[in-house]
Amino acid sequence: MESVIRISQLCKTYKGIETVSNVHMNIKKGEIYGFLGPNGAGKTTIMKMVLNLVKPTSGEITVLNERVLPNSYLYLKNIGSIIENPVFYEAVTAYDNIELHCEYVGYSRKGAVEEALEIVGLNHVGDKKIAEFSLGMKQRLGIARAIVTKPDILILDEPINGLDPLGIKDIRELLVRLKEQLGVTILISSHIVSEIESIADTIGVINRGRLLTEVKMDEIRKQHSHLEKYFLELIMGDDQHA
Amino acid sequence: MLKLMKLEWKKHRVNSYFKALVICIAAIFGSVALMAWTSISENEPLFPDYAAFMSLTNIFIRIVFIIFSSVLLSRLVIDEYRNKTIQLLFTYPLQRKKVIQAKLAIVFGFCFFSIIFATIIIHLLILLLNPMFPLFEAPARVGEMVASIPTTLLNAVMIAGISLIPLYFGMRKKSAPATITSAVLIGFLINANVSSEVASTSLFQFIAVPIVLCLVGLAIGYLSYYKLDKMDVA
Repeated sequence: MESVIRISQLCKTYKGIETVSNVHMNIKKGEIYGFLGPNGAGKTTIMKMVLNLVKPTSGEITVLNERVLPNSYLYLKNIGSIIENPVFYEAVTAYDNIELHCEYVGYSRKGAVEEALEIVGLNHVGDKKIAEFSLGMKQRLGIARAIVTKPDILILDEPINGLDPLGIKDIRELLVRLKEQLGVTILISSHIVSEIESIADTIGVINRGRLLTEVKMDEIRKQHSHLEKYFLELIMGDDQHA
Repeated sequence: MLKLMKLEWKKHRVNSYFKALVICIAAIFGSVALMAWTSISENEPLFPDYAAFMSLTNIFIRIVFIIFSSVLLSRLVIDEYRNKTIQLLFTYPLQRKKVIQAKLAIVFGFCFFSIIFATIIIHLLILLLNPMFPLFEAPARVGEMVASIPTTLLNAVMIAGISLIPLYFGMRKKSAPATITSAVLIGFLINANVSSEVASTSLFQFIAVPIVLCLVGLAIGYLSYYKLDKMDVA
């Protein structure tokens, strides 16, 4: 299957400390790639490097067959993202935030904003200002913004943070629907291993800046009972080794 | 570029600043006119003529709009970094330098046109009110006002350039207070008058000073985006 995001020999050094070390990743078209790792392992940094927000010290990133260079920006049209906590323009309404996003991306389809808000269950609060939103609502709105332009790739860094169980279920079903119906490729990180387990096709485990493994979920299911057990064994083994 | 400017304008609701602009113009004219009017009624006119009246008015205009621009700079640039919305902005398929250029163009343009607009309005108010409530002894002539147009335009360009200098101080700590405080200091520093009984002068009157400061402001604006493609966005 064709790779949509290809990362090879990726390194990032901050003030002499290597935070991402020789990472290779291959994210295939139409799959959900679950990115797991403890806090500070380098997940967000790698996601930011794919979005060109952080520049690699060395290595190569290719997105949709286009090599990401320091001044690349056109490929971003095909990516919807949430990085860290979703941020919004507080002075304007939820609807306007999504509409502005569409205008910046250059996407104009009538009814797209309403549709995105409806998908995440915020259609009734579109005219409210962001200051009135709870963390969970902001997270939903962030997802609406990421999907409104129907991008080929979604990069979601902890998208279910702050969501209630019903919200988590909704987002889980939405991501599966996006993958199955629209063939969207999704790179998702989360601390909730069980959530990743239920939707991911491939798992990448990262610890202390190094990608420990990239494995198909089916293989994990065959060899281990649960992803959580597999993940913890891998991380603890790596920590002991260090 | 124009499209980006329109988006930035809409996003930051720059329209809402027009109300503040009108209040500033009213306050500038009101304070100078009040000084003039009370001094005339006490038979010790503060301003002998139109030129003297406009001399103080222009000082107020320059100070006010340098500070006004710093508020806009804070909203359009500094707050984007402070609130991390700059990360979002840089995930759009747009050249980063164009985004920052659009923001700076709004600040520069807003400052430039505000100064022109304020000057025109104050001229109109002088023409309208001076015959009824004398502000200075010699009558105001339209010819004098027309003759001041080139100087007004030049001053507006220079102040608009100078108004970008606070960006340097604001960006160091991504701080809106630092941006506005530095604007206040710059505004007062270059417009502070040193006077004797016969003459008064300020740094702004030495033409080289505003020109150099304007170029410094433009250079700071340029430096804020020229390396943006190579930098990490925190």
